[in-house]
Amino acid sequence: MSQMSLSKKSKVVIYILLTIMAIYFIAPFFYMFFTTFKTESEAIAYPPSLFPEVWHFENYINAWNAQPFGTYFINSVLVTAGTTLGQIVSCSLVAYGFARYNFKGKNILFMILLATMMIPWDVTMIPQYMEFNLFGWINTLKPLIVPAWFGSAYYIFLLRQFMMGIPKDFEEAARIDGCNPFQIYLKIFMPIIKPSLILIATLNMITVWNDYLGPLIFLQDRSKYTLALGLASFKGVHDTQIIPMLCITVIMIIPPIILFIIAQKYIVEGTSGSIK
Amino acid sequence: MKQKSFLRTATPYLFILPWIIGFLVFTIGPLIFSLIMSFFDWPLTSTPEFVGFGNYIEMFTEDDQFWKSLVISLKYAAIFVPLNLIVALFLAMLITQPVKGVKIYRTLYYIPTVISGVAVAILWGWLLDSNYGVVNYLLSLIGIEGPQWLIDKSWALFAVIIASAFGVGSMMLIFYTDIKNIPPDVYEAASLDGASPARQFFSITLPLITPTLLFNLIMSIINSFQQVTLVMLLTNGGPLNSTYFYGLMTYNNAFKHHKMGYAAANAWVMFIIILFLTALVFKSSSAWVFYETEAGGKEKKAKKKQAKEAK
Amino acid sequence: MKKTAVAAGILALGAMAMLAGCGGGDKAAADGKTHIRFATWDVAEDVDRQQALVDKFNESQDQIEVTLEAYGSDFDTKISAGMGSGDAPDVMYMWNYPSYYEGLEPLDSYIEKEGEDYKANFYETLWDYNSMNDSIYGIPVGFTTHTLFYNKDIFAEAGLEEPTDEWTWDDLMEAAKTINDKTGKEGFAFQMKPDPYDFEMYLWSNGTAYCDAEGNLEGNLNSDASKEVFQMFQDMEKDGYAVATEAAPTDEFRAGNVAMFIYGSWSINTFNEDGLNYGVVKIPSFAGKGDSISILSSSGLSISKDSENKDAAWEFVKFWTNEDANKERIGLELPVLYSVVESEGIMDQPEYAPFYEMLEQSAGHTPASFIIEDWSEVSENLSLSFEEVLNPSALMDVSEVLDGAAAK
Repeated sequence: MSQMSLSKKSKVVIYILLTIMAIYFIAPFFYMFFTTFKTESEAIAYPPSLFPEVWHFENYINAWNAQPFGTYFINSVLVTAGTTLGQIVSCSLVAYGFARYNFKGKNILFMILLATMMIPWDVTMIPQYMEFNLFGWINTLKPLIVPAWFGSAYYIFLLRQFMMGIPKDFEEAARIDGCNPFQIYLKIFMPIIKPSLILIATLNMITVWNDYLGPLIFLQDRSKYTLALGLASFKGVHDTQIIPMLCITVIMIIPPIILFIIAQKYIVEGTSGSIK
Repeated sequence: MKQKSFLRTATPYLFILPWIIGFLVFTIGPLIFSLIMSFFDWPLTSTPEFVGFGNYIEMFTEDDQFWKSLVISLKYAAIFVPLNLIVALFLAMLITQPVKGVKIYRTLYYIPTVISGVAVAILWGWLLDSNYGVVNYLLSLIGIEGPQWLIDKSWALFAVIIASAFGVGSMMLIFYTDIKNIPPDVYEAASLDGASPARQFFSITLPLITPTLLFNLIMSIINSFQQVTLVMLLTNGGPLNSTYFYGLMTYNNAFKHHKMGYAAANAWVMFIIILFLTALVFKSSSAWVFYETEAGGKEKKAKKKQAKEAK
Repeated sequence: MKKTAVAAGILALGAMAMLAGCGGGDKAAADGKTHIRFATWDVAEDVDRQQALVDKFNESQDQIEVTLEAYGSDFDTKISAGMGSGDAPDVMYMWNYPSYYEGLEPLDSYIEKEGEDYKANFYETLWDYNSMNDSIYGIPVGFTTHTLFYNKDIFAEAGLEEPTDEWTWDDLMEAAKTINDKTGKEGFAFQMKPDPYDFEMYLWSNGTAYCDAEGNLEGNLNSDASKEVFQMFQDMEKDGYAVATEAAPTDEFRAGNVAMFIYGSWSINTFNEDGLNYGVVKIPSFAGKGDSISILSSSGLSISKDSENKDAAWEFVKFWTNEDANKERIGLELPVLYSVVESEGIMDQPEYAPFYEMLEQSAGHTPASFIIEDWSEVSENLSLSFEEVLNPSALMDVSEVLDGAAAK
């Protein structure tokens, strides 16, 4: 769309580059994928082979049944959907405030917002645990979902960057038409920044989907576990159950990839409404 | 009248209210708690004991590992941050090219980002095993004796960088979204002027995506200092402590050595360093980041044209 | 901004108050039962087996309800965080007593109430490994010593006689050399960054230790006998018939690339599932230095000092460590009760017997981790020094490294 036509030569160059990069990104994945059908002793054999001698499709069934993954799946979906919705609502509001208004203390507040990302989780986790324990939230999904409804610095910062790229005259026009600030945000801005919202939804989904430290600390019994935590618990102190672990890894990437393919479409579609 | 002006003043605060509430309820307590703890000796299994600046003094005067880990993390950041940005931007440019099948490539590049961090670390540990790993096996097939990736001090950091660049997809996606948001007419105007693709990139695309570039830069800095999971599972700080990152040191002090107070002091020193770097980047950003809100869109385009002509 | 600062102060104070210690409210739930949280580090199918056993306990009486929590390799993080926030599980698996004992309930008085026979049925050495400062903090549930694993096929291929319990290190080295010459495979393998806790057994076997009773490294870690041990490992590597691996060489052994290695019982099930043709004998001894000694990796069941239901927790600990439970867990853990080892004929099973023989000849040694304060940090330094000696890209001078480490 952007550069309308490319010469044949540059097309060839692009394909070569695309393919070289694809090898780095995808070869390890394929190696992992084919390994999931091997026996464990085949997987660690040397010299290594790409394809299994016999395809053990049952590895997947065994892995799925090794832990209550059906339950984990539901929990993961709940947490992922709950946080994503929360992030979209809260982060877009907050980012809008930071990007489109000037107010007293804005710079300090924004610096504080950024600063909250700079303290590693190791040392804030215990007081967080105490707090959630006080609320009676331990061993529920609440500590994983509720904070997302109050925005996350990472997405607020990102959305702010996108929103600051939108010309000022835009809301001026709307204000003259008699829209109140919330209407401007909802009716004018939300449609414009739809691609960025889709983007933060996509980013949040994979982060939360794969997060296992949060679930590890705040959850206790297996009926509350998420997929990522189940995956991590194939890794024992002395022994890692590598084949089931890789099988679940492969299963776990299917939902985010499907969502990504759908999201791609919307990110591109957003261009039509772009106003840069 | 008065009420209306109050409402006007309050409007921006109302928009950021969710974050302020969340900050007060969920964030500031634990943050201050950890700051206070950095002045305590807290072995986790028993009650904390006040030690004043003891932890900080120990860190700067007695703990060799503190300095070593700091250097390792700075070195990692110095290599990883620019590399990551360049690779992400390069990929983002590639996947916006109007060629057939680009959608498939886009998805392929994104797949590694979706793989759980634990599995990524284990996978790369396998691939890079010096004696029995796939990478060295493939190299041996073409007659090259592969390096001792995770054994040799001089290669290990490089191995960590290879494995961490694997997850560049998020950043790529952020750039991609931004590039896709550039309206086509900007390019069309430039094409008429006969600008080469390289020139188009440097004089149009790059300036227009500087806001997200700033975002990715700052996040890469923060992330590279907080890198824990990957090194913990891939090298566990080795070989010979050559990848004993600052983040890993903090984690080990907290959960392995049960020195939570000391770890908190580690964390706050790291906080100061990151804050300083971030402030530096922000300060410089007024020179290289362009926001449409600051200058009107048209004005900016005109400015850019001038700049182009001046070249 | 002022308001923000005030609110921040209040919240911080609140957090401090929490630290002062509130264990987390009312534990007696609506069903009137006492609820006990029980944490394990086991994974996957092993957790299912443990869950079955927990269910059995829950059905056996109507007072106590136990829930199992499984944390795998993140066990330590979770337990540390739990203790730090005053909300540790009531009952937990435990091995690292020097690090955790201050958060655990001393169990001597509970054990006393059960009578002499109760305590006497456990292998005696195990109590030492579940104690700290003369108090018992855990009831033994499992253990492993280390033994020599060897691949029978590779020995046959090289035309060699299989190892015996009487082997010395010289025998091992000679065999390893022959195997390497004849088959091209590695004769012996060990980890290039051994856990110092485990590695001390070789020093014991050669008549020394990391430190004396007061915890001094100088003159012990860098004694001639100690240097001899490290030199031997380094030489094996330099001579090319042994390989130092990044992790414990389990995978290399399973893949049939390595003929011998020394390890605990953790992988026996995996070897059996693989159908690996292997044998187990005692660790070789140093010529003229008497029997070889093994480190013990012991696991016990401990009660959190913050638990509000210690009596109920003890009931469960008793259940988990009784004869039936020991029998149920065979294959998961080596039984720790004399009566069970006898009734199940464990000593007649060639893959298990050497672990008990090593246990019997390893009594009377105290690991440095129980002597040296801040062991966890000292261990990290030692680990680096050992790697300097054994990492093939370093292979530094043994004497220099150990002298340097002892001086720290």
